[in-house]
Amino acid sequence: MAFKQVPQKFTAKINPLTIGEGADAITLGGENVLPFYSFDAAIDNAPKIGIEISDNGYAANIPGIAEFYAGAETLPEIAKKAAAAPGVDFLAISMEGAHPDNGDRPVDECAKLVSDIAAVVNIPIVIEGSRNVEKDAKLFEKLAEALQGKNVLFLSAREENYKSIAAAAGLAYSQKIGAESAVDINLAKQLNVLISQMGVKTDSVAMNLGSAAAGYGFEYVATTIDRVKSAALAQNDNMLQMPIVTPVASETWTVKESIVSEEDFPEWGSSEERGINMEIATAAACLAAGSNAVILRHPESVATVSKLIAALI
Amino acid sequence: MGLFDRVFRGSAEMYQKAEEELAKVIAELGEDAQMQMPDTAYFLSCIYAYLGKKVTKLSELRDALAEIKGKMTTNYRTTDVFSSGIGTAMAAEVIEATKYARTPTPYEGTVYHGHFSDAEVRELGVPLVTQDIPGFVVVIGPAPSTEEAVNLIKGYQTRGIFVFLIGGVIDQAVEAGLSMGFPVRVVPVGQEIWSVGHIISLVERAAMIFGAVQPGDWEAFNEYSMARIFAFVNAYKPVADIVVACGGGAIAMGFPVITNDTDDMWRVPKSLIIQEDTEDFIETSLEARDIKIKITNIDIPVAFSTAFEGEIIRKADMRVDINGARFDCFEWVRSQEAKDIEDHQIIVDGPDIADIEPGGSMSLGVIVDVAGKNMQPDFEPVFERKFHNFLNCIEGVMHTGQRDMIRIRISNTAFEAGFSIRHIGEVLYAKVKSEYDTVVDKCQVTLVTDKAKLKELRAEANKTYDKRDLRLRAMTDENVEVFYNCILCQSFSPAHVCIVTPERLGLCGAVSWLDAKATNELDPNGPCQVVTKKRVIDERVGAFEDVNEAVQKYSHGALQQVTLYSILEDPMTSCGCFECICGIEPISNGVSIVNREHTGVTPLGMTFSEMASMTGGGVQTPGFMGHGKHFIASKKFLKAEGGVARIVWMPKALKETVRERLNESAKELYGIDDFCDRIADEDSVTDDPEALLAFLTEKEHPVLAMEPLL
Repeated sequence: MAFKQVPQKFTAKINPLTIGEGADAITLGGENVLPFYSFDAAIDNAPKIGIEISDNGYAANIPGIAEFYAGAETLPEIAKKAAAAPGVDFLAISMEGAHPDNGDRPVDECAKLVSDIAAVVNIPIVIEGSRNVEKDAKLFEKLAEALQGKNVLFLSAREENYKSIAAAAGLAYSQKIGAESAVDINLAKQLNVLISQMGVKTDSVAMNLGSAAAGYGFEYVATTIDRVKSAALAQNDNMLQMPIVTPVASETWTVKESIVSEEDFPEWGSSEERGINMEIATAAACLAAGSNAVILRHPESVATVSKLIAALI
Repeated sequence: MGLFDRVFRGSAEMYQKAEEELAKVIAELGEDAQMQMPDTAYFLSCIYAYLGKKVTKLSELRDALAEIKGKMTTNYRTTDVFSSGIGTAMAAEVIEATKYARTPTPYEGTVYHGHFSDAEVRELGVPLVTQDIPGFVVVIGPAPSTEEAVNLIKGYQTRGIFVFLIGGVIDQAVEAGLSMGFPVRVVPVGQEIWSVGHIISLVERAAMIFGAVQPGDWEAFNEYSMARIFAFVNAYKPVADIVVACGGGAIAMGFPVITNDTDDMWRVPKSLIIQEDTEDFIETSLEARDIKIKITNIDIPVAFSTAFEGEIIRKADMRVDINGARFDCFEWVRSQEAKDIEDHQIIVDGPDIADIEPGGSMSLGVIVDVAGKNMQPDFEPVFERKFHNFLNCIEGVMHTGQRDMIRIRISNTAFEAGFSIRHIGEVLYAKVKSEYDTVVDKCQVTLVTDKAKLKELRAEANKTYDKRDLRLRAMTDENVEVFYNCILCQSFSPAHVCIVTPERLGLCGAVSWLDAKATNELDPNGPCQVVTKKRVIDERVGAFEDVNEAVQKYSHGALQQVTLYSILEDPMTSCGCFECICGIEPISNGVSIVNREHTGVTPLGMTFSEMASMTGGGVQTPGFMGHGKHFIASKKFLKAEGGVARIVWMPKALKETVRERLNESAKELYGIDDFCDRIADEDSVTDDPEALLAFLTEKEHPVLAMEPLL
């Protein structure tokens, strides 16, 4: 019997979420099919890739990165270089230096830094937090003000601080909010409900469902993303229809496979290659599970993953 | 003169003043002169919000004023008070705007703040939305004395309430040398009553910025401020008509007015409140606007953290032992009327730790009185049960048990650090107020250590416990309106959903129907949601369409249907944290139940953990079922298969736990006495089904007369 293709498209769809402004603005989500099932229905917005820098610059410990950013001295210069890397759709700025235990950069100084970046970069900006909930609450309020009109995505609204972030970034300055939960579909949904009860529209919200490096408990991440996507599409659960943004680099560049030196493990080969492979493998797995965007650090990984996406959609 | 007349007179007064001021400024600058408030994108925001008009020049302001006049209706209905009140606020804005028509900085060089910029609205709006600032007060006065003015302002400051000052109270604050300004959350707005226009402007902009309320949508603005902006007014006597008119506007926006003026003043419940004792303004106001102050730190001399939860205090380190098994001790939560208790009052009645010889023992009765509009007596046991966690988190305090069987030990180190009986009250106060802030408005703790009084109090507490137990026992699945689901453990078992009913508690044993109900009401978006039970499919097995829909929804599609009372047809799933597992024993046509603590083998030839591997993970395995201990004596236990008479084997310890109630149920269902004695245990049978059958035959177990299970 001949194969008869039955398109598996859903009546429900993922909310399209636009970030950035002008010609360089991008839209995440909007699809009504499973990840990469473009044979079932057209996927208008292919998954996007962000390149990550931090308020401290670039991650100099990653092999090969220093060469890429050679010549860039100031943060705006670094940001410009990052934004110009082939395959990049948006710039992700991690505010790690604002963490109280990691330099505790003052809020006003952070605001100045990101404004300086925003002045020279046209592609959309995604702000990642400092990983400290109290600091992020204060920080995002100022950054949302400093980046007024830039339509920025603030990625780390967590259960502990979503109120401040939703009120400041989401309501007062009409920016976009990323609800961050730790690999738990119910908490993800609850956070979305709570943020929308604050008055933030559901189509201004993205989800960071949490991540892990491939091989480091990634199964949990994959099934969580998978279940969120299927609840959103198959069950039309509108509190889970937000596009998913997954920071990958922050997980993969800390695991042994990426960081141990060639001298210590000669049989593992080039450490740069290993790190990049780890980043690509994890990103590809996240995208296959349903992430609408991934955040990477190495320009090589960005280029490769962007080719992968282009080939599949 | 009636309240209506006062409002109408006051609003006419405000209108007249606005008309005069506007005429003056038009005469000076001409009607085409530009009119804009500094640093705002929302024009004259009261007018923009309520009338939808963008005022940019004086002629437009004149047109707007004419429209405002039209809103000041006087038909002696409540809506006229509201409409005139809002009109008064808009007229006030007009008067203030005329000052800004002449110069963008009319208040330069004065203590007065005047207009708020959009940046200030956002700066104040964010913490108002997040409730980090629980609300704001507009104080119109002078207070009876400078000292009282300072006390009031500082009282609000310590509670995190933002304070706006209008009129003579500002002079008093200046006289007292009080530090004022936006950063310290005390803002002197203006001397005259019309400066209130700036505050209303701030409220309307907050509604537009944070609530996306559309300009011109009169009702929506009032609804927003009523629901989301926790403001109120304190007006000291004498309160003039014009202030009364502004008050009408405040009330329309949902902001209650509290005053000590009794002349020509009328009480309006929840809106216009007369409190003659001005020292009680703060408490009266917070209660009227339903503002709850968050408690962030607990005032005790030792640390408080979950890290100390498992701390064990040995006899040698023990300063004092409080033992409910030997003396009269109890923990008792009582719902009270708000007027009968005082918030944060902690009473110690009797000797303290210092009065007891080291290593000695004492008695303690803990009475926690709570009051709140949404408080229900059903929550009392839920709070009570949490005392164990609360008190265990104190460094140097160990707590076990509940009700009148408690045991508390306090360590030498804690005592030396200054810990006393009162601090138990501080902890309970802080935790009850912060964890249950949605239902508890006021909390008072009484700690009785006087042995002479405890005997009687304990008897009284026991009466309450009995009453609660009776209520619990009288509750059946049929006589409640709804069930609840619980998905607390989905982080471990993603597909599992518990349906919690009065006669079937959660399989972990920790979530009864009342707990689920309380969890739902305390945290409406939390793990327990209402499950209706309107559409019955099959009463016998406990199948409901609504329950199936809930299970589908909360298992995210993994599970399609469950029954509540059957082990064979679509039994309820288990996560992995069940207290007991029940499995079919085919030879006797009965079931064996084994609890987690029992390590031995069962007549099924399996141990608890072997059975657990077949039962957990949110999958349906007909013939196996996880459940809580207290479900065993329920009349709904295996109801579809004939009820508790199917139970043929249980470990002895478990049997003792459920004996009394199980015997009762069996007597009621089948008229059998001493049913538990007919159930085998590890002493009579371990893993031999033949021996089990012989035992059952000897004991005339009712299962032998029942239909085959399979």
